[in-house]
Amino acid sequence: MKKPKVAFFDFACCEGCQLQIANMGELLLDVLHLIEVVEFREVMSEKWDKDFDIAIVEGSITTEHAVERIKKLRERCKVLIAYGACATIGGINGMKNNFDLDKIRQTVYGKDYKYFATIKTQPLDAIVKVDYYINGCPVYIPEVVKVLKAALAGLPYAVPDYSVCVECKLAENVCMYEKGVTCMGPITRAGCNSWCINNGNLCYGCRGMVSNPNQNGAKDVMEKYHISVDAIKNKMDMYNTCRELKDEQKKR
Amino acid sequence: MQYALLKKDHLNDFISKLAQEQKVVAPVSRGFGQFSFEEVADASRIILKHIPTILPPKKYFMPQEETLLEYNLSEGQSMEAVVECQKMVLFGVHTCDLAGIQCLNIAFSERPKDFNYLIRKNKIAIVGLECNDYCDEYASCSLMDNHFPNGGYDLFFTDLGDFFIVHVNTQLGDELIEKTKVFERADKSHMDTLAKMREKKRGIFKNEVDIDHQELEPLFKKSQNSKVWDELNKRCVACANCTNVCPSCYCFDVTDELQLDLKHGKRYRRWDSCQNEGFAKVSGGESFREKRGERQKHRYYRKFLYPMAKFARFFCTGCGRCSRTCMAKINLKETIRSLITEKA
Amino acid sequence: MKKIAIRDSEYEPKKSRILRTKRMTATEKLFEIALPGGKSLDHEPGQFVEVSVFGVGEAPISVSSSPTKRGSFELCIRKVGRVTEALHRLEAGDDVGIRGPFGKGFSVRILEGNDLLFVAGGLGIVPLRSLINYVIDNRRDFGTVNILLGCKTPKDMLFNEEVDEWNKRLDVKLNCTVDKADPAWKGNVGLITSLIPGINLDPDRTFGVVVGPPIMYRFVIKELLAKKIPERQILVSLERHMKCGLGKCGHCQIENLYCCQDGPVFTYDKIKNLKGAL
Repeated sequence: MKKPKVAFFDFACCEGCQLQIANMGELLLDVLHLIEVVEFREVMSEKWDKDFDIAIVEGSITTEHAVERIKKLRERCKVLIAYGACATIGGINGMKNNFDLDKIRQTVYGKDYKYFATIKTQPLDAIVKVDYYINGCPVYIPEVVKVLKAALAGLPYAVPDYSVCVECKLAENVCMYEKGVTCMGPITRAGCNSWCINNGNLCYGCRGMVSNPNQNGAKDVMEKYHISVDAIKNKMDMYNTCRELKDEQKKR
Repeated sequence: MQYALLKKDHLNDFISKLAQEQKVVAPVSRGFGQFSFEEVADASRIILKHIPTILPPKKYFMPQEETLLEYNLSEGQSMEAVVECQKMVLFGVHTCDLAGIQCLNIAFSERPKDFNYLIRKNKIAIVGLECNDYCDEYASCSLMDNHFPNGGYDLFFTDLGDFFIVHVNTQLGDELIEKTKVFERADKSHMDTLAKMREKKRGIFKNEVDIDHQELEPLFKKSQNSKVWDELNKRCVACANCTNVCPSCYCFDVTDELQLDLKHGKRYRRWDSCQNEGFAKVSGGESFREKRGERQKHRYYRKFLYPMAKFARFFCTGCGRCSRTCMAKINLKETIRSLITEKA
Repeated sequence: MKKIAIRDSEYEPKKSRILRTKRMTATEKLFEIALPGGKSLDHEPGQFVEVSVFGVGEAPISVSSSPTKRGSFELCIRKVGRVTEALHRLEAGDDVGIRGPFGKGFSVRILEGNDLLFVAGGLGIVPLRSLINYVIDNRRDFGTVNILLGCKTPKDMLFNEEVDEWNKRLDVKLNCTVDKADPAWKGNVGLITSLIPGINLDPDRTFGVVVGPPIMYRFVIKELLAKKIPERQILVSLERHMKCGLGKCGHCQIENLYCCQDGPVFTYDKIKNLKGAL
């Protein structure tokens, strides 16, 4: 079997998800038996100017230039994988969408801000067709491997559509809410095996929200644990602001 | 020997002697008033007075994830059905959880039998532990008639201060006693103390909801179109905590996983929940319990109605875990009370 | 942790061979499959099997061939998900895993001697074909046979040649309808329910056998009841996701019934009061 050609690209992001690949350790050797990496700026200097089979794309779209670039990339690959929270749901970069674009540019770039063009943050699928989603900030390696296997076999991979609580209960963690910590687990899509909570952290909602969250029910939860709406909204906005953009687009 | 006596000072010897030979699991503290069954080497971490553990001992009988089948695609697709299991002693199981294990036994031994469960179950020795008082306000064990020992264990411990009275229920239980050599004979005075405690207990444990045990089934039968389910529909966030912590829930999902060599693989099952979005979805995309309220009703009916017709037994054990863990404060006792009020 | 091999586990599929495949439409493909050692599946029409593609998963598929066909059986599979997608790539000579047959099918013993009205919408023809061919192979054991077939467009029609054969028989009455015709279509256009009022039947001795998409049942059953066919003489086959086939995993449960063990075939009187059955 000829190894499929795989290339990594990034847009607005911290490149930490790509770093996860380098962190895979021994598993990486098994992966490299299956694919041929033709471009991966973070770990190799070679460039590839021809077509390839799979593009693994990290980062969100934040400039007109990026819009054109992702469109061109899409034309060059058979399969496009949105890789990490920025690519799949807009991620942290989406927080910018809560502000006036000119004001936020001024804050970041100072008086010469006009030289730095920007648009509202968007996930990849707002611009191009995405074949596979690997959520997370950073991505969860066991899921990366799962999606890679699905992509190599040309079979669909469905991100679980239930909450992180499910996997967290299976791991028998003490609920963060019992510890007095506000956790995004109840409304966040599973698939990470409650990685953060298993290690003592809370869920920040980096995998995006379940498709059918119960907003009314969430109020009961907040009441039970005496949490203010603002506190939840802030936590939700950390990764999920772009969701509002999507809702707006749907309405249109 | 029907009853034996274990001085509290000797509990540590009992556990550590057992632990030298096989895995022993028992309730330990997880902080924040939470407990879980974990492997122990001696009795130092064991908490005798505990509210029901986060997950019930179900996890040892039907692990969260377990392999059903292993295969090798390279050699003309060979495969083998397997069960992963291990000899162990499960110490400190409350009567509610003993009832839960009995529910699972029934469900999995119904034909077609589930050998993965049945083989594993017989590797586990069960040591029960009596609740002399309520664990907390969520329990409804008296309503479900599970507050007194009712079989389903090899040994059963009752804490009577300085000593435990131990009911020896099976040959396997007797072997544990013979093997560890830390038990003594229980004489009449000890048995009187037990009887006195039980008498006192009868005064403490009362039906937690004002309904007769036998009236529960008709109540749910009448409640098909109840507004209570609409109310739950508004509140439930579908986190599935209620089913995952339930000692008698056993729904699962089956998945294949190929190793990266793309040759070796396994088929495994993992706990699933009727509360999860898409649980009752068919390939055409239609979901048959789309509303969260319908799913909650399904959960209640799987505890109070359907198993009565099939197995003549409630599948609610009264442990209270679903109410304790619910993100949206949905409380089993309150649900039953609402149904009663509505029908009154 | 010790791993023990289980003999005769209900979860162990039998490695079976694909003898023949035939592409039927853009999304449906027919597979002829033989169990190891040429053993017969010995199913009842309406039963289903669990089909495995190792490394991908398992899917419940209803058997489409009649039990009168011995030595091999047929599955008509629509490409809708991960497993069926992988199945569609397989060809004659490839292996699949088979568990089953599972569930309660159409009880042919009860149908014997009675008049039969078959109503199949869309993919409903797939399980119904098993029963229709069984009836045709034992034709004198049954009364009159009426077949109503419906689908979206003529090119979605399945088993065309066989349907033509049924149509040619003097002991079978057959009517087809499509939601949307093309220029070559000579049959009816419209919903399948519109074909029922025109049928002349004796309600006391007629069994209505209905298989189709969920939406179809309510309307077809209404028409059959209007024809005075008793509720217990209306048979339906319900689609659910039977994951384990053993009445355990819970996915196919309709109230107190497990579709995989108590169904998928039910008489209407048994399910009419079950919420969410139809």
